[in-house]
Amino acid sequence: MKSQRLKSQSAILKNNSEFHLEEDDFLETRHKGVRSWILSHMFYRSNKYLMFIFFALIVFTSFFGSYIYIIIGKAIDVFSAGQSDQVVSYTFIVLFIGLGTPILGLLGRACREIVAQRIERDVRREFYLSLLGKSQSFHDRAPVGDTMARATNDVRFLNFLISPALAMILNAIINLIVPIYLIGSTYRLELMLIPIIFSIIFILYLRRFLRRLTPPTVSRRIAFGFMNTVLNESLSGIEVVKSMAQEEHSVEKYKDSAMSYRDAGIEQGDIQAKYLPLLLLSITVTLGLTIAVFYNRAGILSVGAVLGLVGLLLQLRFPVNASIRSFLMLQEAVVGAGRLLEIMNKKSEIFDSHDAVSKEIEGKVKFENVTFAYPGTQNKVLKKINFEVSAGQTVAIVGTTGSGKTTLTKLISRLYDIDDGRILIDGIDVRNFSLQSLRDQIAYIEQDIFIFSDSIFDNISFGRDSSEEQVISVAQEAQAHEFIENLPDQYNTEVGERGVQLSGGERQRIAIARAFLTDPKILILDDSSSSIDSETEERIQKAIFKILRGRTTFIITHRLSQIRWADLIIVLNQGEIVNQGTHEDLLKNSKEYQKIFIKRFDKTLDDLLGGD
Amino acid sequence: MSRKMGYFGLDEEGYDRIYSDRELFSRVIKLFKPYRRSMTIVIIFICLSSVTYGLTPFLMSLVIKQLELESNPLILIFFIINILILNSLGYVFNYVNRRTGNRMVYGVCYNLRRQTNLRVLEQDLSFFDKYPTGRIVSRINSDGQKFGGSVTMFTELISSFLMLIIVLIPMIFISLLLTGVFMLIVPIVFAFTLSFRKVSRRKSVLGQRSLAQVNAFVQESMAGIQIIKSFRQEESQFENFQAINDQSFRVNMSRALYLSILFPSLDILIAVLYALLIFFGGNFVTQGVLSGSDIYLFLQSSLILFAPLLQIAGFWPQFQEGLSAAERIFALQDSQSYIKQGDYILDSIKGKIEFENLGFEYVPEKPVFKDFNLEIQPGETVAIVGHTGAGKSSLTKILLRLYEFQSGDVRIDGHSIRDISLTEFRRSIGFIPQVPFLWADTIENNVTYGAPDAKREEVIWALEQAGGTEWVESLDNGLETFILERGKVLSMGQRQLIVFARVLLQNPSILILDEATASVDPFTELQIQESMERVMQGRTTIIIAHRLTTVRNVDRIIVLDHGKIVEEGNHENLMQKNGYYARLYNTYFRHQSYEFISSIKSKISETNP
Ligand SMILES: Nc1ncnc2c1ncn2[C@@H]1O[C@H](COP(=O)(O)OP(=O)(O)OP(=O)(O)O)[C@@H](O)[C@H]1O
Ligand SMILES: Nc1ncnc2c1ncn2[C@@H]1O[C@H](COP(=O)(O)OP(=O)(O)OP(=O)(O)O)[C@@H](O)[C@H]1O
Ligand SMILES: [Mg+2]
Ligand SMILES: [Mg+2]
Repeated sequence: MKSQRLKSQSAILKNNSEFHLEEDDFLETRHKGVRSWILSHMFYRSNKYLMFIFFALIVFTSFFGSYIYIIIGKAIDVFSAGQSDQVVSYTFIVLFIGLGTPILGLLGRACREIVAQRIERDVRREFYLSLLGKSQSFHDRAPVGDTMARATNDVRFLNFLISPALAMILNAIINLIVPIYLIGSTYRLELMLIPIIFSIIFILYLRRFLRRLTPPTVSRRIAFGFMNTVLNESLSGIEVVKSMAQEEHSVEKYKDSAMSYRDAGIEQGDIQAKYLPLLLLSITVTLGLTIAVFYNRAGILSVGAVLGLVGLLLQLRFPVNASIRSFLMLQEAVVGAGRLLEIMNKKSEIFDSHDAVSKEIEGKVKFENVTFAYPGTQNKVLKKINFEVSAGQTVAIVGTTGSGKTTLTKLISRLYDIDDGRILIDGIDVRNFSLQSLRDQIAYIEQDIFIFSDSIFDNISFGRDSSEEQVISVAQEAQAHEFIENLPDQYNTEVGERGVQLSGGERQRIAIARAFLTDPKILILDDSSSSIDSETEERIQKAIFKILRGRTTFIITHRLSQIRWADLIIVLNQGEIVNQGTHEDLLKNSKEYQKIFIKRFDKTLDDLLGGD
Repeated sequence: MSRKMGYFGLDEEGYDRIYSDRELFSRVIKLFKPYRRSMTIVIIFICLSSVTYGLTPFLMSLVIKQLELESNPLILIFFIINILILNSLGYVFNYVNRRTGNRMVYGVCYNLRRQTNLRVLEQDLSFFDKYPTGRIVSRINSDGQKFGGSVTMFTELISSFLMLIIVLIPMIFISLLLTGVFMLIVPIVFAFTLSFRKVSRRKSVLGQRSLAQVNAFVQESMAGIQIIKSFRQEESQFENFQAINDQSFRVNMSRALYLSILFPSLDILIAVLYALLIFFGGNFVTQGVLSGSDIYLFLQSSLILFAPLLQIAGFWPQFQEGLSAAERIFALQDSQSYIKQGDYILDSIKGKIEFENLGFEYVPEKPVFKDFNLEIQPGETVAIVGHTGAGKSSLTKILLRLYEFQSGDVRIDGHSIRDISLTEFRRSIGFIPQVPFLWADTIENNVTYGAPDAKREEVIWALEQAGGTEWVESLDNGLETFILERGKVLSMGQRQLIVFARVLLQNPSILILDEATASVDPFTELQIQESMERVMQGRTTIIIAHRLTTVRNVDRIIVLDHGKIVEEGNHENLMQKNGYYARLYNTYFRHQSYEFISSIKSKISETNP
C-alpha cells in the first residue's frame, strides 16, 4: 500500500521538470530532506560496499590504534617483572599491529576517497541536471554567480563530509568507546562512570555546538554565493564599469560582500574557539587522577593501574580535538546540502504532461485569448491575444518597445506557460506537446544573442552532429562564411565569452546560421538583423526567404523590408493587438502602424502604398 | 581543445607564472604584515597553550612518582590542583589563540581578495576577452578560500613544533640512547614527505583548475540557458558537462588517492620505530638500566610525539594546496595590463578628437586599422557607417582606451590619450555600447550609475528624453523595479532606453553612440532623436548606426570599410557622389520597396519550383 503511494507520487515528481533523464535514483530522498538525501548518496549502488568496508576498517584500525596502548602497558609490566624472553615476542606483536593497521587504514582511506569523490561528482551532476530542468522563469530570477557557488562550493562540502569529516567522527566515536570499555574491563566497573559521564556531557554539548554553528554557517554559505554573484556581475559588465570609470563602485560592492563573508567566518571561529569540551576533558582527567590516587591509597589500584587509567583517560583528547573540525565540516555539508535541495526541490513550472504528444508539426498556430504576466509580476504583458496563422505563412509582429513582441514568440515554444487562454499548434495545445518535440521543431534567432565561448563551428552546429559542409553552407547563406575565413583559425576560432571577440553583426550572423542549420517547422526571427548593414542584410534576406518556404515564420522587425512580405502583420501596443492584416490594410487603417512607419521614412502614404 | 596529460582545458592560463617557494613565502608574509599584532598574540598564546598541555603528562608522571614514594597526600593534592589550574589556563590560552588566529586568517583572505579584485579591474578589455569570467571568479573566491584553509594549518604547525620540543626534553633525561633511536626516524620521515611535495603541488593545481573549469562551465550554461532551452539542447549541454565533471572527478580522485598514501606510509615507518623502541627499551628494563615507569613515560611521550611529528611532516605536502592557490592568485595579481594610465588630468574637455596613423590589431597579424587618420572638431557630430565588422565599434573602444593600440596616436584636445589620467577622461565620455548592459539593481540606480548623486527628478528627466516614462510606470514598482542581471527582465529596447538615460545623466562632453537605438522601434527612435538633437548641442558626438535614416542629418558621415575610410562628407554630397554610401543608402531604401520584395519572391519561386 505504502509503496504503491510512493510509486504514484514519484511518477508525478518525475515529470516535474523540463528536462530529466530516465533514471533518477534520488528523486524520493530529495523530497525527504537533507539527511535522507545525503544518506542515499552515501549508500548509492556500489558506494554502500565501499562504505561498509570503510566503516569496518575504521572500527578495526581505530580499535587497534587504542589497543596498542594496552599492549605496551602489558609489555612494560612484563619487562619490569624481568621476563626478558618476552621482549622479542612483544616487539613482533607491536610490529605486526603497527604494520597491519596502516595497511588496512590505507584500504579504508581509498574506499572513503572513492565514495567522497563520487558523491561530489554525482551530486554536482544531479544539481546541474536539475538546473537544466528548471523553467525559464526560474532562471530569470536565479543570480548566476550564486548558482555557480552552489554547484562548486556547496557540492564540494559533501565531499569533505565523507573525507575526512565522517572518518574523523567515526574515529572519535570509537576513541570514545574504547577507553570506556577498557577501563571497565581492565580496572574497575565503577571507574567507567568517569568517561561515561564525560561522554554524555560531551555529546550534549556537541548538539548545542552544532545548533549554535548553524546561523553563521548559513550566513557564510550565503555570503559566499553573494560574493560570487557580485564578482561575476562586475566582471561580466566590465566594459560598462571601465567606460564609465566606475571601478570604485564595483570595488566597494565586492568589498561589502567579501566583508560579510569574512564576518560570518569570524563568527564561526569565535564559536569554535569557545569549544568547552577541551576544558571539560582537563577536568575529567584530573578528576580521574584524583580518584585513582584515592583508590591507590586504599590499596585497590596498583601504581601501574593508575598510570594505565590516566593514559586511557588522556586518550579522550582524540575525539575532543577531532570534533572541533569535523563537526564544523558536518555542519557545512548539511547547510550546503540544504542549499542544493532548496534549488533542486523547487518545482519547475513547466513539464511534460503525462499524456504529452510528440508529433511532426505542420505549422498552424493559433492564439486564443492569450493573457500572460511573467511569473512573479502583476504586469499583464499580453492581454487577450487572438490570431491565427496557417501552416507555412509568415507573420510579422510590430509594435513599440516593450509592447510584448518577444514575449509572444517565447510563448510559442512554451518557455513560459500562459495564465489564461490557449495556444494551439495544429489544433493541439502547446501544453500537451512534449517539450522535446515542440522545441525541436521551432528555431529561434533571439534578440539578445548568446554565443558560447566555443569555436565558431561548435556555435553553429550547437549540439548537433553536423558535417563541415553543412556548417559551411549555412554560414554562407548567413553571409558569415567570408568573415569566418578571415579569422585566425577560421571555423575553429574560439570566440570568447558571449562571442566578445566578434563584432555585433558577426554575432548576429552566427546566430542566423545556427538557426538555419536546424530544419524547423516554425521559425522565429526576433530583430535578427538589427546590427547588420543593409547590403549584408539584403543578401541574408534572400537566404531567409528561401528558408521560410514551407515553414511558419514569425518575424519581429522594425525594418519595412522584412515586414512587407508577411502574410499577416500583427500590431501590438502595450500587450494588446490593436490591428492585424496586411501591409496595405494597415497603412490605410491602423493609426499605430502609421505612427511607427510613416514618420520614419518621411514618405507619404501613397509612396509607401505604391512603392514607386 | 588542447590535451595535456589526458586532460582537456586544464592548461595554465596565459598569465600563470611559476613562483619559487621563497617568493611565495615572502609574498604570503607580506600579507600578514598588517596583522603583526595578531600574529604576535597568536604565537605567544600558541606557545603558552602548548607548554601547558605539554606539561600535563609530565606533571602526571610526577604525581605517579609520588605514589611510588608513598609521600604525603597533601603533596598529591597540591600537584593535582596545579594540573587543574594549568589545564584551565591552557583552555584560556587556546581560546585566545584560536580566536585571534581565525580572525587574522579571515582578515588576510579578505585583504587578498580585495587586492586581487582591484588588480583585475585594472586589466584592459583584452584580458577579459581571453580569460573566462567563471575562471577568474573561481580564482579569487575559491582559491582564496583554499589559501585561508592552508594558513590555518600553518598556525597548527607552530604548535606542533613546540609540542615536539616540550615533550622531547624530558625524554632526553630519561634515556639519551632511546631518544637517539627515536630521532633516527625524523630525517627519514622528512625525506619521505618532501618527496611528495612536487607531485602533490601539480595535482593540487590541476584540481583547482578543474574546479575553475566547472565553475566557468556552469556560469556559461546558466547565462545561455534560454538558447539551450529554445533549441532543446539540454542533452548535448549535459554531455559536455559530464565530460568536465568527470574530468574534475578524475583529477581530484588522483590527488586524493595520492595524498592518502602519505599518512599510512608514515604510520608504517612509525610502527617500525616503535618496535625498535620496545625491543631496546624492553632489554634496558630487563637489564635494569631503566625503571618500568621510566620506560612507560618514555613510550607514552613518544606516542604523544608522533601526532605533532606527523603533522609537521605532513604539513609540506598538504600545504602545497595552499601554495598553489596562492600562486594562482598572485599570478592573477601580477598580470600586467597593457594599458598604462598617464597622469595628465583633463579638466574640461572641448572635444577635439584626432586619430593619427593609428595601427591596431586584436590578434597579431590581423590588423583592424592600419595608418588610420581622422580628425573630429569640437562640437561636431560624426556618423560612422559601413559593413559589419568594418571596425566601427573597435574605433570607439580605442578612443575610450579599453584596448591598447599598437602604433600612431590618438589625441583628445591635443593630448595623447596615453598621457592622460583615465578616470576623469572616461567619465566625461558618454558611451553607449552596442550591447546594453544593466546591473541587477533598481531601474533608478541603473540610470544614476554614472552620476550617483542625481535626484529623482533628474532621473525622470533623463528617461523622458529617452522616449518617455510610461513604460516604467507600467512596471510593478515603477522606478524601484528591480531588474535582474544584465536587465534580462526588460525588453531589449527598454534596456537601450535605460542605457541612453544613464548616459544623459552623466552629462558628458563627448557622446559615443554605438547602435544606441538598434532595438528600439522607429517611433520611439524618432522621439529620442529629437531629444538627441538638443542634447548634442555643443558636444562632440560619434554615432554608429546601420539604420541610415538616423544619420542623415549629421555634419559628417564617414564610411568605413575594412578599417579604412572610403568616403566622407554629408548626406547630400555623398548621395551625389553616388559611391559606397549611396549604394548602402539605396539598398536600405530600395529593399523597402514593393518591387524589390516581389522580385525576390519571384526569383525564389523560379529557382525552387
Ligand atoms: N575582442 C576582439 N578580439 C578579437 N577580434 C575582435 C574583437 N572585437 C572585434 N574583433 C574583430 O575586429 C573586427 C572589427 O570589429 P568591430 O566590432 O569593430 O566591427 P563593427 O564595425 O563594429 O561591426 P558591427 O557593425 O557588426 O558591430 C571584426 O572582424 C571582429 O571580428
Ligand atoms: N523575463 C521577464 N520577466 C518579467 N518581465 C519581463 C520579462 N521579459 C520582459 N518583461 C516585460 O515584458 C514586457 C514586454 O517585453 P518584450 O520583451 O516582449 O517586449 P518587446 O515587444 O519584445 O520589446 P522590444 O522591441 O524592445 O524588444 C516589457 O514591459 C518587459 O519589461
Ligand atoms: Mg523584443
Ligand atoms: Mg559594432
